[in-house]
Amino acid sequence: MLNIKGLVKKYGKFTAVNDLSLNVPKGEIYGFVGPNGAGKTTTMKIICGLMAADSGEVYVNDIDVINNGRKAKEVIGYMPDFFGVYDNLKVTEYLDFYASIYKINARDRKKICDDLLELVDLQDKRDAYVDSLSRGMKQRLCLARSLVHNPELLVLDEPASGMDPRARVEMKEILRTLKDMGKTIIISSHILPELSELCTSIGIIDRGRMVISGTVDEIMQQVYSKRFIKVKIKDKGEECVKIMQESPLITSINKDENLIEAGFEGNEEEMAVLLKELVMRGIPVISFGQMDGNLEDVFMKVTKGDEA
Amino acid sequence: MRINPVLQKEMKIRMRGWRAAGMIGVYLIFMALTASFAMMMSMEGYYRSAIDPDLAIGSYTGLAVMQFVLISFISPALTTGAISGEREKQTLDLLLCTRMTPLSIVTGKLFASISQIVLLIIASLPIFSIVFMFGGISVIELLELFGFFIIISITFGSIGIFYSSYFKRTTAANVLAYGTIAFLCFGTIFLTIFYLGVFKGYDYKGVFPLMYVNPIVGFSSILWEQFGLGSMDFFPGLIVGSTAAVDFISPWIVNLLFNITLSIVLILLSANKINPLKVRHGGRFSLSHRRKK
Repeated sequence: MLNIKGLVKKYGKFTAVNDLSLNVPKGEIYGFVGPNGAGKTTTMKIICGLMAADSGEVYVNDIDVINNGRKAKEVIGYMPDFFGVYDNLKVTEYLDFYASIYKINARDRKKICDDLLELVDLQDKRDAYVDSLSRGMKQRLCLARSLVHNPELLVLDEPASGMDPRARVEMKEILRTLKDMGKTIIISSHILPELSELCTSIGIIDRGRMVISGTVDEIMQQVYSKRFIKVKIKDKGEECVKIMQESPLITSINKDENLIEAGFEGNEEEMAVLLKELVMRGIPVISFGQMDGNLEDVFMKVTKGDEA
Repeated sequence: MRINPVLQKEMKIRMRGWRAAGMIGVYLIFMALTASFAMMMSMEGYYRSAIDPDLAIGSYTGLAVMQFVLISFISPALTTGAISGEREKQTLDLLLCTRMTPLSIVTGKLFASISQIVLLIIASLPIFSIVFMFGGISVIELLELFGFFIIISITFGSIGIFYSSYFKRTTAANVLAYGTIAFLCFGTIFLTIFYLGVFKGYDYKGVFPLMYVNPIVGFSSILWEQFGLGSMDFFPGLIVGSTAAVDFISPWIVNLLFNITLSIVLILLSANKINPLKVRHGGRFSLSHRRKK
């Protein structure tokens, strides 16, 4: 769906985006992570035709964004990190205005506006003036605006910034719904745990370069080279440790009462085999799983490594 | 026919609330006071019959001058915030990331402002029509003048929108737009007189080329010819009037052509300025242009 090859953008002597390449398949939610000034917003603006690149190629749905920007804009929905609203314009009029830009006829526009307001849960605000909405509502409305022309690719720059926890959860739910609808989403955020929950793939960008890209699991494996598993048992702790130590894939093990944490150099199938072995040998396993991937640690490690 | 969505939205926003009605009200009060004042001045001192072409000319001139002055002030005021205001409100990117071209955004913004001016001009028609009571001015002449006003408002509006697209802040755009209009109206006169005084010893017959770009000269010229007052040498470098038209092109016609050309150039420059993938200065082209070579 989105294919970027060797993208370069310079501001004078400063290189904001440096030979960045990226491929996001259809239906993915791709998390774009990086420190401030890493080049996330610049890359997103180039994707949306809001900025010219110095070199490189950007294709959205096989449409060349750089040479055929107008056509590409019809399949891209963009939500910037900072956005404004017009005074004296009601919520439905706001959406209707953007829908009219895409030459959608008046009857269809009404239905689209109603559907989008339902999606972002703003039906009861349809006749409110846009500038009277709260920040969270404005952000949801902006998301609805980016969907008026039913784009295939959504580019969301920090969509949850400044939102309270409840609004963030609601935004996350909306994004999941959009994924279920088949939309491809590229999203930047500083709230890394949320990204790791939401995204199917993640790319970490630092100083304009793509440092690492892939699924969360792939990144964890690339960065840490091994997994950590956590086993909670009812009793038989010593026996459980002994069985686990028999596996050549266990690299380290630590027992704390009924909780066992172990380093594991294997894939998911091999984890399943280990669990089966424990159960077969009568260990009362309450829970068994991989320790949560901590994207923040990965982010710190990856970007720190680049600085060194 | 499909209306430009920006124009449609802007007109909706601008006409909502008391501001639009207030502006029309204040405008008409100014025009009505001017009409009353002009009539009183024309009638002062001696008895006139009700049907007197001089009275018509006095009222018509007074109203036309007031209309010209008001348009000169209102047109830039309505446009200098058009693009810079979008930037300040952070809504420009939202427009540019749609399928709308920068040119249609600029023209939508400009013509939304111009439509307000046209509304003011049309609203002033009943006041202007009092000149018909006295005769001397035809409907065609009145429409000719209104056409001139609309072109002038587009030109002044284009100047406003040009600075609005080049400057991030509306205040800077305002100052420069009014400065440019002041230069066109007065600066060109001073420059002409200065140049002719220094280099020609005020010995210049006809209309000095710089005078053609002056909106006041264009406006005076159209009134002068409508009144059929013959030619008059206002100052070295400026002759207006019907006799002069034989030897020189009427200043108002050249001025109109200049205004139309200037407006088109400024609109195109504004559109290029807000285009994120614009042609760069110094002959360098953006990636899209280079790759097309």
